[in-house]
Amino acid sequence: MSEIPENLSYTADHEWVGPNEGDGVKVGITDYAQDSLSDVVFVELPNVGDEYEQGEVMAVAESVKAASDIYAPIKGKITAVNEKLEESPELVNESPYGSGWMVQMEPSGEMSALIDAESYKNSLD
Amino acid sequence: MSLSKTCVHDEHEKLGAKMVDFAGWHMPIQYTSIVSEHNTVRERVGIFDVSHMGQVFVSGRDASSFLSYITTWDVSKLSNGDCRYCHILNDNGQIIDDTIVYTFTNDSYMLVPNASMVTKIYDWLNLKSADFEVSIDNKSDEFFCFAVQGPEAPRLLRQQFNLSITPFKLLEIGNLIISGTGYTGEKGYEIMGPISESLDVWKSFLDMGAIPIGLGARDTLRLEKGYLLSGTDFNGKQTTLESGYSWVIDWNHDFIGKDKLLLQKEEGHKLLKGILLEERGVLRPGLPVYFEGTQISELTSGSLSPLLKRGIGLSYLDLPIGTTVNISIRNKQLKGRVIQTPFL
Repeated sequence: MSEIPENLSYTADHEWVGPNEGDGVKVGITDYAQDSLSDVVFVELPNVGDEYEQGEVMAVAESVKAASDIYAPIKGKITAVNEKLEESPELVNESPYGSGWMVQMEPSGEMSALIDAESYKNSLD
Repeated sequence: MSLSKTCVHDEHEKLGAKMVDFAGWHMPIQYTSIVSEHNTVRERVGIFDVSHMGQVFVSGRDASSFLSYITTWDVSKLSNGDCRYCHILNDNGQIIDDTIVYTFTNDSYMLVPNASMVTKIYDWLNLKSADFEVSIDNKSDEFFCFAVQGPEAPRLLRQQFNLSITPFKLLEIGNLIISGTGYTGEKGYEIMGPISESLDVWKSFLDMGAIPIGLGARDTLRLEKGYLLSGTDFNGKQTTLESGYSWVIDWNHDFIGKDKLLLQKEEGHKLLKGILLEERGVLRPGLPVYFEGTQISELTSGSLSPLLKRGIGLSYLDLPIGTTVNISIRNKQLKGRVIQTPFL
C-alpha cells in the first residue's frame, strides 16, 4: 500500500509537489513511483536556473532495469537540486517525500493542473 | 500466443515477484529488489528458477563424434561426469547458441540451450545428424532447472543431499542431475530433474535459507563477470573469436564453422570488450559508442554494477584495452574506458 501524504499535491505522472514556504516548492516522485522503479541507482537532475514548462522532462531516474523520465509538475524555474542524490540515489527509495526530494522550483503561474492526495490515490486504484 | 509458465510459476507469484515476458516465458524479474538480490548472491546464497532453459539429450553409438562435430569442443575427450561450456556454430562460424555439454557416458549426453534457442538447436542437431547414428531427444518440457549460487551454496548441498560438488562436474542423485555450473561467477550448482519433483526441491532450498533471485539480478551478476547473454551479446551474426571466447575452441578437431574461424583468425576481427563508465550513469543495450567523434559501435549489454556502482557494458570493438571512448546517453557524451572483462 503506497504512502500518500495529505499535505502534498500530485500529478497523474507520480510526481509530488510540496507546499510553498516562500522559497519555492519541493518536488519529488511518489512512494508508488519509487516502488515501481525499484532500486534507483542514478538520478540526472536539471541545473539550477533552468526553466521548464509544465510536463517537460526535467530529470531522469534510473533503476537497474530501466530509465524513467520525470516531468516538471508545474511551470517554473529550478532554484535548488538535491545534491545528496548524486552520492546516494537510494534516498529516493528510502524516503521519497523526505530526503529523497529532487528539485525545488519557483512556480511561475498557476498550479491548477495538480491533484490532491485523494484524487491521486483514486488514480492508482 | 500465451506465455509459458515454469513448474514453480505460482510460487513466484505467491512470493510477490514482479513478472515479465522473457523469451516467451512468464518469469520473475525481481522479488524484492535487483540490487539486494544481487548482493545476496555475492554474499550469501540465492536460488534462481531457470526452468525455461532447455534439456536436449543426445545418445547413441556416434553421440560423441556427432557432438564434437556440432560444438567447438572435442567432446570425445570428455570423461563421464564432465560438464563443458562451448559454442554451437553455423556454417559461417557464427554462434547459434552457447551451451553446456553434460557427459553421462561416452554415448549419452545432454545439452542445455537457452530458452529462446531450444527449438532452433533441436532442429539444427536433426539437420546435421544424417551421417551419425544418434538419437536426439528434446525433454525441455519435462525438466525443471534451479540454480543455487553464492558462497553458502555448498553448505546447502551438504545439508540437503550430504554431497559436495566439483566445478564443471555432474552428479546423479535419484532422478536429479546436479552440476557444478552457474552464471554468476560464484560457488554453486544447478539442479535439474523431472517436474514432479520441482516443488519439493524449490521449497527445501527456500527453507534452508536460499533467497529467491529474479532474472534482473541474474543479468547484473553475469554482466559483472563478462558472461555472454544469448540473443543480446550474440544474435547469430558474431563468431566465437569475436566474442572473446576462443578458449572454448579445441582447434585439434573438426567442427562446423572451423574453416571460417581459421580464415577470420588470419584476417583479424573485432572483439567483444568491456566498457566501464568513468562518469555517473547507467549503460543500456543499444547505446552508441564513439571514438574520436565518430560512432564506431554500440553496446550489446549494458547495466550498472551494483558492487562497483558504475555503468558497465559490452561492445564489439577494434580498439585496444585502455582506450577512452564516449557513450552517448540522452545526447550527452559520457566518458568510458575499454577494459578486459570480467569487471570484477
